[in-house]
Amino acid sequence: MSIENRNHQRNRNPQRNIRNLDDRRVERNIRNLDDRRLERSIRNQENRRPERSIRNREDTRAERNGRNPENRSIPGRMNSQDRFARRQETALKGIAARFTIRMQKKLAVLFIVVLLAFLGLSLRLYAINREDSENYKKQVLSQQEYSSKVLPYKRGDIIDAKGTRLAYSEKVYNLVVDASVINSKQAYVEPTVTALNTCFGVDANEIRNHLAEKPNDKYFVVKKQLTYEEISPFLELQKDKEKGANVKGIWFEEEYKRVYPYGSLACHVLGFTSRDNIGTNGLEAYYSDTLNGTNGREYGYLNDDSELERTTKAAVDGKNVVTSLDVNIQKIVEKYIKQFNEEHKGEFRQGELGSKHTGVIVMNPKTGNVMAMAAYPDYDLNNPRDISAYYSDTEIAKMEEEDTYLDTLQTLWRNYCIQDAYEPGSTAKTMTIATGLDSGKITGNEYYDCSGQLEVSGHHIHCHKTNGHGNLNVSGALEQSCNVALMHIGDAIGTETFMKYLTNFNVGLKTNIDLAGEARTANLIYDVDSMVRSDLAISTFGQGYKVTMIQLASAFCSIINGGYYYEPHIATEIQNPDGSTAETIAPRVLKQVVSTETSEKMKTYLNAVCVTGTATTAVPAGYLIGGKTGTAETYPRKQGQYVVSFIGYAPADDPQVVVYVVVDRPNVADQPHSTFAQEIAKGIFTEILPYMNIFRTEQLTEEQEEELRRLQILGTVSGNSTEEGTEEEESEEETEQEEEAEKPEYTYDDNTGNIIDPLTGYQVDPDTMEYADPQFSAIGDISGTPSENEQEDSGGSEGYEE
Amino acid sequence: MAGRRKNRKQNEYFFDYTLLFIVLFLLGFGLVMLYSTSSYEAALDYGDSAYYLKKQLMSTALGIFCMLVVSKINYHVWEKFAVIGYIAAVVLILMVLSPLGHEVKGARRWLRLGPLSLQPAEIAKLAMILFLAVLVCKMGKGIRTWKGFGLAVGAAAPICLLIWKVTNNLSSAIIVGGIAVLMVFVAAPDYKRFVLMALAVCAAAALIVFVIVKNAEGQADAAADGGIQSDAGFRGDRIIAWLDPEKYASDEGFQTLQALYAIGSGNLFGKGLGRSMQKLGFLPEAQNDMIFSIICEELGLFGALSIILLFILLIWRFMVIANNATDLFGALLVVGVLGHIAIQVILNIAVVTNTIPNTGISLPFISYGGTSVLFLLSEIGLVLSVSKGIRLNDVG
Repeated sequence: MSIENRNHQRNRNPQRNIRNLDDRRVERNIRNLDDRRLERSIRNQENRRPERSIRNREDTRAERNGRNPENRSIPGRMNSQDRFARRQETALKGIAARFTIRMQKKLAVLFIVVLLAFLGLSLRLYAINREDSENYKKQVLSQQEYSSKVLPYKRGDIIDAKGTRLAYSEKVYNLVVDASVINSKQAYVEPTVTALNTCFGVDANEIRNHLAEKPNDKYFVVKKQLTYEEISPFLELQKDKEKGANVKGIWFEEEYKRVYPYGSLACHVLGFTSRDNIGTNGLEAYYSDTLNGTNGREYGYLNDDSELERTTKAAVDGKNVVTSLDVNIQKIVEKYIKQFNEEHKGEFRQGELGSKHTGVIVMNPKTGNVMAMAAYPDYDLNNPRDISAYYSDTEIAKMEEEDTYLDTLQTLWRNYCIQDAYEPGSTAKTMTIATGLDSGKITGNEYYDCSGQLEVSGHHIHCHKTNGHGNLNVSGALEQSCNVALMHIGDAIGTETFMKYLTNFNVGLKTNIDLAGEARTANLIYDVDSMVRSDLAISTFGQGYKVTMIQLASAFCSIINGGYYYEPHIATEIQNPDGSTAETIAPRVLKQVVSTETSEKMKTYLNAVCVTGTATTAVPAGYLIGGKTGTAETYPRKQGQYVVSFIGYAPADDPQVVVYVVVDRPNVADQPHSTFAQEIAKGIFTEILPYMNIFRTEQLTEEQEEELRRLQILGTVSGNSTEEGTEEEESEEETEQEEEAEKPEYTYDDNTGNIIDPLTGYQVDPDTMEYADPQFSAIGDISGTPSENEQEDSGGSEGYEE
Repeated sequence: MAGRRKNRKQNEYFFDYTLLFIVLFLLGFGLVMLYSTSSYEAALDYGDSAYYLKKQLMSTALGIFCMLVVSKINYHVWEKFAVIGYIAAVVLILMVLSPLGHEVKGARRWLRLGPLSLQPAEIAKLAMILFLAVLVCKMGKGIRTWKGFGLAVGAAAPICLLIWKVTNNLSSAIIVGGIAVLMVFVAAPDYKRFVLMALAVCAAAALIVFVIVKNAEGQADAAADGGIQSDAGFRGDRIIAWLDPEKYASDEGFQTLQALYAIGSGNLFGKGLGRSMQKLGFLPEAQNDMIFSIICEELGLFGALSIILLFILLIWRFMVIANNATDLFGALLVVGVLGHIAIQVILNIAVVTNTIPNTGISLPFISYGGTSVLFLLSEIGLVLSVSKGIRLNDVG
């Protein structure tokens, strides 16, 4: 009987359960002392490791013989482990084979194979880190940026000289639906769809369809460019604990929308932006990089507590561009342009506007800064692709069919003042005479005889007055705009000097005005080497070569400001987003074209033109101005198509503002009357001079007083200089009421005879009856006159021949 | 004298605490990494950064409970369940096709039982270990013959085929097959067969890759550059993407490439725990099959090698337990578990390092997956149970 049996008995002793812990511990210690020593000694004898293989062999033999395997468990005192082992043995009826040495060896082989595999993988990990680490790090970082949220910058404002915003960017919100979030719980669907419907009027079925069709879509823009006011009801609903609890998966993507508060005002100067703040045309294009800022970013990351956090790199907003434009002057200019064009709309050419183009530039001759620049037809900057104001739906449909829609838009967007070239006509005579005086080729005291025409190299070149002006001095030649006298002057100047001065006046060169798309006119003027006498002859009175409005206006400024050629400019300052000055753009003198003496002489001549010459119509009441008219027949000749213009400045002795008006092919039966342009200029002068605080110097006639009162430029007390100060404040009002007040003028002004027929625009000035318009083109005889009148780069002047 | 006594007491009854602690450490580490990896996506998708962690914690707790229970039960008890387990595994796999089957991300591999969902393939692995252990023991010397060998391997074949074809889960099928082969390898005395088999498998794999690549080239010529358009199915695509992941960075190679980026950007000591960038939505299944690459990114080569070392230790413990098991059955059970864990770890790391084509294999104890951790812990329980039968003197 063995120890084992004794153990059994002891273990089954019912008293065991009530034995206290101490007893057991004591017992166990004893057991440990006695039994285990015993057990060990037995094992040492029987179960030593070296004997194991033998035992294994025995085991397998025993198994084969169908015998139970030997009980390897060494008898000892029964504790839980031993009992466990025993149960194990009893359970092991059929299978009791030993895990043989051979198997152990194979397991060791397996372990080595596994180790090798791990070693290989470790080397692979090391290789990846060594070879591609840098590359992969970059990849990780570059990817990072894609997923993070872009914070859009705000494009800078375009501001006028008085601080009025002409263009600014407004934050708007795109409504984005995240279907995967809404679909994540059935409870979200209905409240969210309902909220979308009530707050934004989104069709509930449309959203339901989207949720059903693309259940995992994360980005679906439902509505674009909502204002904050439009989304605020929804934001409040979302905050509401009860109603908004299940409204999920809606967020707003911020972006900026360009807003032009004055609509079409100065549209050609400002230009507009297309997507992603790319400026198109005008200032928006020229200063696009300045106006644009840098996008910010919002990164998501996990902080030390593994919570999702966001960090923000704020966007850098764009800079503001302050311009020399003045909204009020611009408004006045555009008012008169529109007035003219509406008056003559469809008058002669059916279904056409009052003119092909009308352009006006108002400049400060002392700085070259542009105060207003307008072209007609214009367009709405907030909706630049809408041409429904000029074309019917069927016409637009036809354009789309013929693929000319875009061409039409491009034409509409062209800034006539800088992008179109034309023959300047008689306004160029100022440059010719200034050239003659400054080069010393004429003194100003010469007399010329005009018989109505002059033969140059076998061509009979006519003066506009077919029966001749008779005997004229230089001043008279300008006053009467005599072509024959100018041709004589041109003869005296000579080709080389003439072209040298023309180039000095920047004709044929870009003025580099800070507007996008200025025309290149280099090949629209004569080449001095191939220029013949008749070319010079017609050039003296502004035919045969082409200019842009800005070229002529800038050149004219230099003639009257003492001879200094200023680069025409619109921006005067670049501002930081907070309004502080980042950069001041000072007026830039490029050169002195003519001497101060020449300039002074020219001013007296130009003043005479407006007092006794062809430009009396342009004179505003109460002021002395200087100026020159122009009428040029367009190519092809003899079609009755003319570009009529007037360029003038005020006041006559101290030029502070230059106004240049060009009307391209007025829509009237009888075109060649510069009075069309003069009327516009007069209206502009009349209103902007008081606005600019330029005081009246001349006595007003009663009629003039009446007229000014009607325009609300004069208060009830007339002729008092103290009231000038109040005019500025009134200007806003004026512009609104102007139209009403202006109309009666036409039927009323019998005494001065300024304007008689408002319908045709025919004007007869009684004082200068015989010299006034119509002017007739004098170059009809010349064959091969310049090609097309419009469009700068096309054609060119190479078509000239003797 | 007391000291000696104590010493003897410790030596007498064996319980492999080393193994237990390695497993517990791996589990703890796995939970930390799982939270680090999944919290971003969890917060985005569920509004609760601990969403995955909580689910995994529950499975882990349940798993540890199972492990302790199983370790208390004499492992011979399971002998009777070998055949039943085998049949149950087959039935469960087939049940995936029934309405109880549950589809996740386009793969129908789960069974949904009330709030729980489980993957029959995981059950099949355990069932296969048990079944083969019993079978080999019953065969005795029979394993030495070709017939016995064929029988043992053949027993695994139906389950492998079912897993592959029914649940469309080739990786699990490979693991089950691999477990079977390793168990037979250890049990059977010779090497020749296995060397031959290994060569045959390698040759077949090489041939398949070759054919697929040839096909793809032919099609690429035909279809110019329209991405991967082979008709070899998604596995063929994966093989092509494996060979040149950068070329297919936008589709099949995406996950692999992202994993490589993560590994490569970790360097020696990594970016620090919780500082992975790849887990922020770039690496798909980051908390799942790809968790090892995030470990590499956050803890670097050092962390990755530490984990590999832990697994080596784990496997070494298995080997010790198997060598000292009281009987063949116990030893084979341990070998099966060893095979299971070794294969999964090796294949998982091989996938994330793009050493083999991409296939979904999770990293034991660390990857997210309830069924997986539950059954792995049950297996550890079995091993512990086997270890309990060992007498310390046997261990020496």
